[in-house]
Amino acid sequence: MLNYAIKRLGLAVVIVSVAMTLLFSMIYLIPGDPASVALGPRATPEMVAALRARMGLDQPVWVQFWNFYSGAWTGDLGIEVLSNRPVLTVVMEQLPFTLALIAGGITWSVALGIPLGCMAAVRRGSFADRLVGVLSVAVIAVPSFVVAIYALLIFAVALQWLPAIGAGEPGDLGDQLTHLILPSLAVGLGWVGYIARMVRASMLEVLEASHIRTARAFGLPERQITYRYALSIAILPTVTLLGIGIGQMLSSAVFAEIVFARPGIGKLVYDAILTRNYPLVTGAVLVTTVLFVVINVIADLIIGALDPRVRSGF
Amino acid sequence: MSRHSGPVVSRRALLSTAGAAGAAAALAPRMAVSQDGRILRVRSYSDLQIMDPAYRLSAPEGDIMRAIYASLAVNAPGDEWAWKSLGTTVLEQLDDVTIAFTLRDNIGFTDGFGQMTAEDVKFSLERIANPENESPYAGDWSALKEVEVKDTLSGLIHLKSAFAPLWTSTLPTASSVILSKAAVEAQGGKLGAEPVAQSGQYLLTEWTPKQRTVLTRNPDWAYEPGGFEEIHILPIEDPATAELGFEAGDLDYTWTAVSSIARLRDNPPAGGIVSEKPSLAYVWVGLNKDVPPFDNPNIRRAVQHAIDTETVVDAAYFGAASTSTGIIAPGLPGHRDAPLYGYDPDRAREILAEEGVSGLSVTLDILNQSERLTAAQVIQANLADVGISCEIKQNDSGTFWTLGSKEGDYWNKLQMTLNRFSMEPDPSWATAWFIPEQIGVWNWERFDSAEFGELHAQGMVETDPAKRDEIYKRAQDIMEESGCYVFLTHEVTGILHRDTVEVGLKPNGEPLFPDFKPV
Repeated sequence: MLNYAIKRLGLAVVIVSVAMTLLFSMIYLIPGDPASVALGPRATPEMVAALRARMGLDQPVWVQFWNFYSGAWTGDLGIEVLSNRPVLTVVMEQLPFTLALIAGGITWSVALGIPLGCMAAVRRGSFADRLVGVLSVAVIAVPSFVVAIYALLIFAVALQWLPAIGAGEPGDLGDQLTHLILPSLAVGLGWVGYIARMVRASMLEVLEASHIRTARAFGLPERQITYRYALSIAILPTVTLLGIGIGQMLSSAVFAEIVFARPGIGKLVYDAILTRNYPLVTGAVLVTTVLFVVINVIADLIIGALDPRVRSGF
Repeated sequence: MSRHSGPVVSRRALLSTAGAAGAAAALAPRMAVSQDGRILRVRSYSDLQIMDPAYRLSAPEGDIMRAIYASLAVNAPGDEWAWKSLGTTVLEQLDDVTIAFTLRDNIGFTDGFGQMTAEDVKFSLERIANPENESPYAGDWSALKEVEVKDTLSGLIHLKSAFAPLWTSTLPTASSVILSKAAVEAQGGKLGAEPVAQSGQYLLTEWTPKQRTVLTRNPDWAYEPGGFEEIHILPIEDPATAELGFEAGDLDYTWTAVSSIARLRDNPPAGGIVSEKPSLAYVWVGLNKDVPPFDNPNIRRAVQHAIDTETVVDAAYFGAASTSTGIIAPGLPGHRDAPLYGYDPDRAREILAEEGVSGLSVTLDILNQSERLTAAQVIQANLADVGISCEIKQNDSGTFWTLGSKEGDYWNKLQMTLNRFSMEPDPSWATAWFIPEQIGVWNWERFDSAEFGELHAQGMVETDPAKRDEIYKRAQDIMEESGCYVFLTHEVTGILHRDTVEVGLKPNGEPLFPDFKPV
């Protein structure tokens, strides 16, 4: 297991290094000068040149890359030159909002997707099963930003049940949760469909298994068989799916953060790209990449610990 | 077996009661926060990054600075451009180059930096003007010679020469707020995102990045207080999101997308008041005279005649905006009554025929915003009508604002641009970007007129409004005669606010936060 863990961590380091290289290359291929954009029309060419120097943009690209690369491994993501604040601080201020949004999205997708999937499997072939099938495909097909806009129009503007914008009063958990309902629904709704379909398929397989037949033969109540013995096994592939889904939810979070004017990493990166704020773009994307890789490493280690065949095959 | 004597609460009952209570709370009608007259929630289009007036990055930062740092003068709310004293009992122009001031007594800085003095005025104004400090706003005080301190509270501002924009676009702006000399020096000469030594009608008491900024009435401000106890400023980039936020009751004031003005005017949200304010900004089509085919002045003239500005503006701004006659908006010295070269497609075809031009293809670079794209599509159709094929190239803001820069490699390929500049209430702010020294900086048409440059310089020092009017009219005639410009519009600003709020706005609709009041 130790050998497996070391190899898996080594692979994670390689993945992060490749991601950093790709990220750096892509950013520098985009046309546009961050110093001119930041300083605006009032700045003289000398001021623009001075800011370029402060940002290190007057140095050869390989020097800039080395500074970024070496700094990143020591946790120094540089200084955001416009506000003169450490990039890591700026990113870490926004990260909790995005994590809360993704957690909310997962909650919606699990809370709705698992019961729907179970119901469809238990009532296989019924009208309810067909309805869940149609709805699952429908919510997968609808883009998250469309869900976001309509949810906002219906529940915030027309009915005025929920707030439309922002992340809620700092320090007021209830208000923050209320502000989380609509954006997290927008992020998680598509995953309700994925999870419902995955749970249905797994449940159908498990419900045919011999231990379930045995449980029925012992006369256990059908409810207990479904939720205690079948679902506990059928849910495992869903957990793996959710691990992968976090990456996709990060993308959906960008739309939700813009539509609902919420703070968060997605909006931070979007704004930073528009203003060519390179240190902020690289810092924020690097943090989310590391987060994603860490989550996947943890998932792999757990699966490796549970299933020796995975360890031997690595 | 025992029985509970009190009421029995089962798990199911508890959950259903809690659920019902939660739903009731969520379903309760949501009220605008300003209805209690305590908190005002307003939208700004960007979050703050720097609270140093010399290095501010956006207009919303300036709006906050004018509320938290006292200044000599501020804009007065209303439909005419005017100023009022804020931190002074005396603010008077003694002659063309001398302004006397006396500070109000008892204006204190927070954080233990004591009372505001004339020495702080000297430090603040000279700091911005000093080229060594590399402030992008040094031009606001380019005419400053020195500030002479007479005593603790009074002094004289000496100018190198007469400076016409002083009372309109210098003194009432964030470039003239007063900082504590001791505080700035203690911070190493430059302030960061969090302000120190605040002194205005409000104090910045909370900043949650990308979420909100809270201004709270300054308890030590001894003069007229701000209208609301607290002002919550929410950074919302997208105007459509802000409009929805207003309709949902989360905002008390926002400005709207131009495309929404007609809809909101016809069908205003409950408790909402919609109004329109004339913008000072100017939008135009620029033709780069150093790049073929626009190195031929007759081709440029043909394009001027080919574009139907009225249709372009109607389509792009949904009938809410009017066409412009130049770069100087109505109400300012130098505004022209009409352009020199109007829409005349027959004349455009004649010119192209005389030049022996056929099958001409050009490119039009624009910013990727919906109204620009609509405008560009109408221009494309107008040009096609006279036989010119036009390719529209959309750019994001990071790319667009560098297209004509001489530092880049695109300026010698740039043919036409659809451009927009914002404006201060003095005509010199419009002409400043088109002088020969600005070629390859912001003068992307590479329009090169020594006479225009001289007129701009004259306009800066001329204080007679009638003479300034002539100067700037002539300057715009020269621009248009060059063939490099097709003037489109000054746009319009839509304002949306609650009927429980009396707004404090500049004539162009920009907010003056301390002047907002509960009704």
